[in-house]
Amino acid sequence: MLTMTGTIEAGHKSHLTPLALNNQKAGGDTFEGTVGDFTHPNPRMTCRGVDVFYNNGATHAIKDVSLDIGEKEVLSMIGPSGCGKSTILRCLNRMNDTIDGCVVTGSVRLDEEDIYDRGVDVVPLRARVGMVFQKPNPFPKSIYENVAYGPRIHGLAANKTGLDEIVQNSLERAALWNEVKDRLGQPGTGLSGGQQQRLCIARAIAVSPEVILMDEPCSALDPIATAKVEELIDALRTQFTIAIVTHSMQQAARVSQRTAYFHLGHLVEVNDTDKVFTNPEHHLTEAYITGRFG
Amino acid sequence: MQMAGNKHTIHRFDDELNEIANLVDKMGVISVNQLRRAVKSLKKENPVSAHKVINRDRKLNALEVETDDKIIQLIAKRAPVAGDLRQIITLGKVVTDLERTGDEARKIAGLCVRFYETDHHSPGDHILRDIFSMSKYVGNMLEIAMEAFSRLNVEQAFGVLRMDEELEVQFEAILRRLSTFIMEDSRNIGHFVDIVLGIRALERFGGHAKNIAGHVIFLSTAKDVRHMEADDVQQLLGLTAPGESAWCDRG
Repeated sequence: MLTMTGTIEAGHKSHLTPLALNNQKAGGDTFEGTVGDFTHPNPRMTCRGVDVFYNNGATHAIKDVSLDIGEKEVLSMIGPSGCGKSTILRCLNRMNDTIDGCVVTGSVRLDEEDIYDRGVDVVPLRARVGMVFQKPNPFPKSIYENVAYGPRIHGLAANKTGLDEIVQNSLERAALWNEVKDRLGQPGTGLSGGQQQRLCIARAIAVSPEVILMDEPCSALDPIATAKVEELIDALRTQFTIAIVTHSMQQAARVSQRTAYFHLGHLVEVNDTDKVFTNPEHHLTEAYITGRFG
Repeated sequence: MQMAGNKHTIHRFDDELNEIANLVDKMGVISVNQLRRAVKSLKKENPVSAHKVINRDRKLNALEVETDDKIIQLIAKRAPVAGDLRQIITLGKVVTDLERTGDEARKIAGLCVRFYETDHHSPGDHILRDIFSMSKYVGNMLEIAMEAFSRLNVEQAFGVLRMDEELEVQFEAILRRLSTFIMEDSRNIGHFVDIVLGIRALERFGGHAKNIAGHVIFLSTAKDVRHMEADDVQQLLGLTAPGESAWCDRG
């Protein structure tokens, strides 16, 4: 520390650490509600008071979460392992239905429709709200068939020509067409990791979804493949609403407009991405993104 | 809910940040001392001491280069965000301001060399007294700004903004007073120009201290108060008015 005599104290360690900064943030020892703004002026999907339990109620994984996903925005969901971000993502297209003992309460709406209503058919729902998973999982079929499968079973093409157009259009929008146009008959599993993931994205968009859910889509990819997928996300944003779970702070900062931070099943903070990564409101958000968590 | 820790998970990150902060502290100490020694050399009419101040400015320049390099390395390796990012950006800006204060202190030492080694002609205490009083004031500004920086004390930093307002008032008054010496005796013109340049250097020294205070406010509050009047800053931050910082007319 600089003293008035102008000498520096021996063994001095600067007081200048984010400890002081962190102490000025919102939030105490108990959860006091989501800070920031979980609503969106033009939501495509809304969650209100969502709770998720595993093991028939023994594990309370998501606690009273309310969150909007805006029309044609990219919303990133971040948080430490086990915080519930993938769980809430799977609520958005009822993928949690496939897990024995999983119970979801509260309201999840796509536009104005409650997707958990008894009358909702999950098959067309999952076409409207598509999903891309962490590990690329192309079907054991040709590149063409990977993309054509969904439109075919949903009756989206009147004939082969129509199907061809959908396949080409989807592969173009997934920035993969030029790389595979001369080998559409070859197995999708023969592509590189990054290409496989873009093939999965093409497969998802082939059925004209309204929302695309991405669960750590780049964690199995090399940096160049990751960059290509991020570029793709940026392009898709003009046509689709996207929710992405990611462990990469930098990726969340780069690709999304809003960021939601989860912690132990609670939605701690939702804010513009710029704000979250420069001056988050909640001290837990700051601690997590600066790596001071735990 | 579990409380987060305050140490970085990667301890080396905190070590690197502290290493940079310590270098900045060191620059602040050197800078204040440089100004004190420069003024002392002028009071004692000692150009040998003045030359030491001029040479020692190289140390500040070297520290600036070293610190900037460490900042670049940290950004490349750690990709800091939020408070860490504001901190590292602020440290970089403070480094630049401190190096410039060193340049201004060197100019004061340069006056001593000019008067007592080159010209062998003292301008007289009645002309130099403003250098002495102003240097004490701006030296205090920098000390307070660096203490505010070390403690992230927004109120203290705001106090430096107010001191800068007074500095501007006194700067104008001093210029008017000096101009009367020209009217009294035109032979004073040579010294007048040197003293004005010296006063200007001190005014710039104070300006850099004010910049540092502004950086403290940004680091603490994430509010950029550059180019804002002190009254507006006070209102923005909801601060109470600080005590008056006395301008000392005695060197």
